[in-house]
Amino acid sequence: MTWISKARLKATLKAYLFLAPFLVVFIGLVVYPIGLGVRLSLYGQRGARMWYVGLDNYKRIFADSMFWQSFKIPLFLLLVQVPVMLFLATMIAFLYETRKGGGPVYRFIYYLPYTIPGIVSGIVWSYIFSDSMSPLHPLLSLFGLENVKLLTRANVPGILLVIILWQFTGYTAFLVYSSLIAIPKEYSEAAQIDGAGLWQIAFRIKLPLLKGPLITLFIFNAIGAMQVFNEPWMLGNLVVLPLNYTPAMYIYNSAFSQGRFTYATAMGVILAVITCAFSWYILRSAGRQILGRRD
Amino acid sequence: MKRVALALLLALALSVGVCAADYYPEYTGPPVEITMWAWTSNENYSIEEFQKVYPNITVIWEDFGVHYEKAQTALAAGSGLPDVLMVEYSFAPEYMDLGAFQPINKWLDEETFVKLYGEQALGWCSMDGEIYGTPQDSGAIALFYRQDLFDQYGLEVPTTWEEFAEQARKFKAAAPHLEFNAPPLGYALWWVGLVWQSGGKMFDYHDGNWYIDFTNPIAEKVFEFWGELIDEGTINVTMWWNADWYNSLNMGTTATVLNGCWFAEWLRYNAPDSEGMWRVIAPPNFDPSNPHNGMLGGSGFYVTAHSKNPEAAAIFVNWLNSHPDSLRCLNQYSNLPIMVSTRYEEVVHELAVDDSFFGGQNIVEELWHAHNLINTTFVGLPIWSNLDNALSLLLQDYVDGKIERFADILPMWEEQVIGFMEEFGYFNVIVGELPD
Repeated sequence: MTWISKARLKATLKAYLFLAPFLVVFIGLVVYPIGLGVRLSLYGQRGARMWYVGLDNYKRIFADSMFWQSFKIPLFLLLVQVPVMLFLATMIAFLYETRKGGGPVYRFIYYLPYTIPGIVSGIVWSYIFSDSMSPLHPLLSLFGLENVKLLTRANVPGILLVIILWQFTGYTAFLVYSSLIAIPKEYSEAAQIDGAGLWQIAFRIKLPLLKGPLITLFIFNAIGAMQVFNEPWMLGNLVVLPLNYTPAMYIYNSAFSQGRFTYATAMGVILAVITCAFSWYILRSAGRQILGRRD
Repeated sequence: MKRVALALLLALALSVGVCAADYYPEYTGPPVEITMWAWTSNENYSIEEFQKVYPNITVIWEDFGVHYEKAQTALAAGSGLPDVLMVEYSFAPEYMDLGAFQPINKWLDEETFVKLYGEQALGWCSMDGEIYGTPQDSGAIALFYRQDLFDQYGLEVPTTWEEFAEQARKFKAAAPHLEFNAPPLGYALWWVGLVWQSGGKMFDYHDGNWYIDFTNPIAEKVFEFWGELIDEGTINVTMWWNADWYNSLNMGTTATVLNGCWFAEWLRYNAPDSEGMWRVIAPPNFDPSNPHNGMLGGSGFYVTAHSKNPEAAAIFVNWLNSHPDSLRCLNQYSNLPIMVSTRYEEVVHELAVDDSFFGGQNIVEELWHAHNLINTTFVGLPIWSNLDNALSLLLQDYVDGKIERFADILPMWEEQVIGFMEEFGYFNVIVGELPD
């Protein structure tokens, strides 16, 4: 080829060689299954019998109130848990910074919950909120609250909030902290010379500089909220939760307890589209602000 | 005289031999390997015995934590099911209806099936005259009760539901912090089982039609009975199979449990601190002169549509669930109430021993008695997980105060179930009547 120089071709090939391990796994385990899922979602299925139905599954899902109701919990988490967690994590990261060497012991301790698999912590938390064994009952009785039923269906969103905050705040703080130490020292030194206090530096100088990483974290956690499964699944052993408590639970139950695989696949595709569209929207509007772009 | 006895014995042995040969046909194919998915423990002892008799059939037993999920996936994929699949009787109609199994009448005809497993078992293992598998354990309902609490509060073991209610009220008055009986919040098997136990049913399948009638007199009577006790606060529904419930059984805060007879084994392993306290008896009846029983759980072993060796698989499932050598192993190592097979009678007396966990009671005999009271059967609906979840949500609504009268749940449940049948494409549904 004459329109591409040899050196450039070589560089491109080299780049792909380095990308190959990622690409193989990504295409094999993400792109290919999604493509297969899209194809499956165009079929009707009962047992081993499958027949082409075109967009019928999608039409049914748009009319399936069970599917849309399942977004209540993700929305609650998105609007409450994610902002609260990002705020707490940022505060904790600022506190890390005030310690010598970033408070390695605290960082370690706060990071620990993240290392416990969600299912395992779900079991432990369900004991903590159980009727007969909860260690919270003696505490509550100190305040004159005897025999309070903690795990009721109405309390589940609150309990989810506690579990997810417990599990991910330390991890998020760790990520925020690592962005924090990447901010050049000169900024805060200059501010200090100008007479700014510790918290003033934190909120006026550092926080705006953390905007990029915080938006990324927001998107990651928003995706997590959309897909929440482990925690409500475990709590479902102690209190009756509907099959469609979250979108992921509804997809799982539709496939594995009702055997409606293609319908579940179509819901999965819709969930993926919603998640992608949401991330794209946030990135785009946030990108404009960060880069000061004006179209 | 001695010679006559000997001759008789010989004749008997011969006739048993002939019979046995009829029950278990010879395997004529080439050496094969078949796979089986089952979650029960220690099936390998029976398999070893089987392979001694059928050296050309090798059985590979696999056990996964996600049994039904894997089975549903393989079924939808059109390949990947093992030769033999263990399925609970309540879920079996769904699998039969979906074409997950293949008929084995060629190797186990209906006459032999009925001889080996009884007429009722046809309802759990066959549909439209096609036999798909064999039943293993019994879910015959039994009343498990705490002797220590009965002694302490001067209670009498009830034989009628009227007496049961009387004892429940007496107990509640004496020990308001304890539960006399805590029916499950959900667990449709239990509620359907108790209707069955009173000689009734709520649905069935006959000649290509599904029948649904939840508000028939027997079902209503059962729901009114429990509804009265629950509405007045004498007993409370509670969620089963979780940490709180295990704890209540272990610590003795619940005086009685109505459950399938496999529960004896479950208690032994999950409530070890209650050793010696429990006793078992056949459940109360509305009319003790005409007693019935029903089942709660129990599983069969079915030959799947994906099996390439249905002959070997059919011979195996039949041998596994009826041959005395296998029944002995399943009783001894898997601790299962494998009482569905009529040949259990041949081994029951050697298996029936005093059980220290049950305070020295000979529970095998009691459970065998409970099992033999089962005298009706029906086919479950092919949408069991929806049926189950619908009831759970209604009971939770009741607990949350959204439904005032417990017995009102029954028609609401029926309405939802009818809706599910339609949603899942079953239009051959007849509502408001049941076949005999």
